[in-house]
Amino acid sequence: MARKIVKYGLITIVIGLLAYKSVFIVKLSELQTVEPKAFDAPAFVQKLWDGKLPARLDSAITLDALQAALKSNRGAAFNTYFNSMSIGNLRYGLVKLTGKVLSVSDDDITVLAGNSNEPLTVKVITEYVYGNAIRDASRLVDIKDFVNTADLNNISEALNKRVRNVVLPPFKAKVKKDDNVSVIGALELNEAHFSLNDLEIIPVQCKIIQQ
Amino acid sequence: MIAIQRNNTINLARLQSVIALVVLCTIIAILSDKFLTMDNGWNVLRQIAVNICISVGMTLIVLTAGIDLSVGSILALCGAITAGLSKNGIKLPSADLFIGFTLLGALLGGIIVGSLLGWFNGFVITKFKVPPFVGTLAMLTIARGLTMLWTQGHPISNLGAPFATIGTGWLLGIPVPVWIAGVVVLLAIFITRQTRLGRYIYAIGGNENAAILSGININKVKLIVYSIAGALAAVGGIMVTSRLDSAQPNAGTGYELDAIAAVVIGGTSLSGGKGSIGGTVMGAVIIGVLNNGLVLLNVSPFWQQVVKGAVILIAVIIDKGGNKK
Repeated sequence: MARKIVKYGLITIVIGLLAYKSVFIVKLSELQTVEPKAFDAPAFVQKLWDGKLPARLDSAITLDALQAALKSNRGAAFNTYFNSMSIGNLRYGLVKLTGKVLSVSDDDITVLAGNSNEPLTVKVITEYVYGNAIRDASRLVDIKDFVNTADLNNISEALNKRVRNVVLPPFKAKVKKDDNVSVIGALELNEAHFSLNDLEIIPVQCKIIQQ
Repeated sequence: MIAIQRNNTINLARLQSVIALVVLCTIIAILSDKFLTMDNGWNVLRQIAVNICISVGMTLIVLTAGIDLSVGSILALCGAITAGLSKNGIKLPSADLFIGFTLLGALLGGIIVGSLLGWFNGFVITKFKVPPFVGTLAMLTIARGLTMLWTQGHPISNLGAPFATIGTGWLLGIPVPVWIAGVVVLLAIFITRQTRLGRYIYAIGGNENAAILSGININKVKLIVYSIAGALAAVGGIMVTSRLDSAQPNAGTGYELDAIAAVVIGGTSLSGGKGSIGGTVMGAVIIGVLNNGLVLLNVSPFWQQVVKGAVILIAVIIDKGGNKK
């Protein structure tokens, strides 16, 4: 009997010690006052949109200049004009283009643009704007400033949402075949499997040029 | 006489495993110059540490002629619970309370949940006489669903440097996961060879009716064995979560098959009563080296599955052949 009491007494002490070292209890109301405020991605994007982004869009390289740069030194062109915050071979850069609309579909418009000797057909996405293309191409977000990858993803989502809800609807409503358009947006290129066929741009600014 | 015969069979199975491992390593080393490097060696050991933990638990179950298909899901759930407790704690708004967990608390929480789920497996199997295959298959789905509920389908990331040490740290020049797997293996060898529980496990797998007639409380032994397997799956889950610094809701998918493969390749009979922890470790090393070699040799992931399946099939056929004798 005495042995049993000692045995169970020791077990209780060990469990008690483990619990003491494992758990702490505080009042939730006190904790919430010291909890850091959650990252507000839409507010961050709003600041970016009104602040640094317009200058970045103005300084975007034109598609024909990019064609020339890629032709003369592809590696240097990728280093200068393209960026990616994730692993893999996909790179994103801000590119300006003006051209004639060849076709309009529900999901995109196809534009003939670039160097007049070697024109390129570019799909400008007008429906499914997703991914990190705009965030990475803008080079305005530094991964070191964020401890949480979810915050980085939320920035992309807020940028994409703004393009989907604010930039594209008025453009999509008016654009038609044979219009001349001007687009600035994020171009995705694969550095390892480089090709200028089937180019796609996610627009940040797009307008119809009046004839 | 029977004991000598059993030992000979185990030794033969182990010898077959060693020969298979040597042949495998030789072929991969000839075909890839990256295989026999220190970095790759540590990488393989780190990867197999998780499978060793799960496989050791699986071996104990298979020795009792059972099987546990739920270890992959339990791994995911316990990894997520550990991560969630460590990062977010438990909030009770109605009582205005926040229950926070230290790293030790979160680790214990995960392991306790794992052993409870394992115990529940054992309870269903012993109390309701549900075949282990079916009972643990149900737990596979239940635990995966609970993982989704706990995580809301999102990964739980950024768990902090102390937690990351478990999966990525080094101790005395050896990766921490390898130390953990080593301790698990030594404890399991001690249990199977030196304790009454170990002898009961072999006795139940060898002949359950004879074990009952000998006065062994087979239900109690099975409950313990399934609880240990659940706890070891939780340890594996903690290692995976720590290594990725993220608890993924779909972690551990298919891990039960790798564990069963390691057990079978290691010479443990699926009909129970025959096998060893050492053999399972060898089986896990073979699976790990095979996985690593196929990646280094740039074999398509689709073919990798075919090759792994074929290796398991051959091991089972050899096991069947051994049993006939």
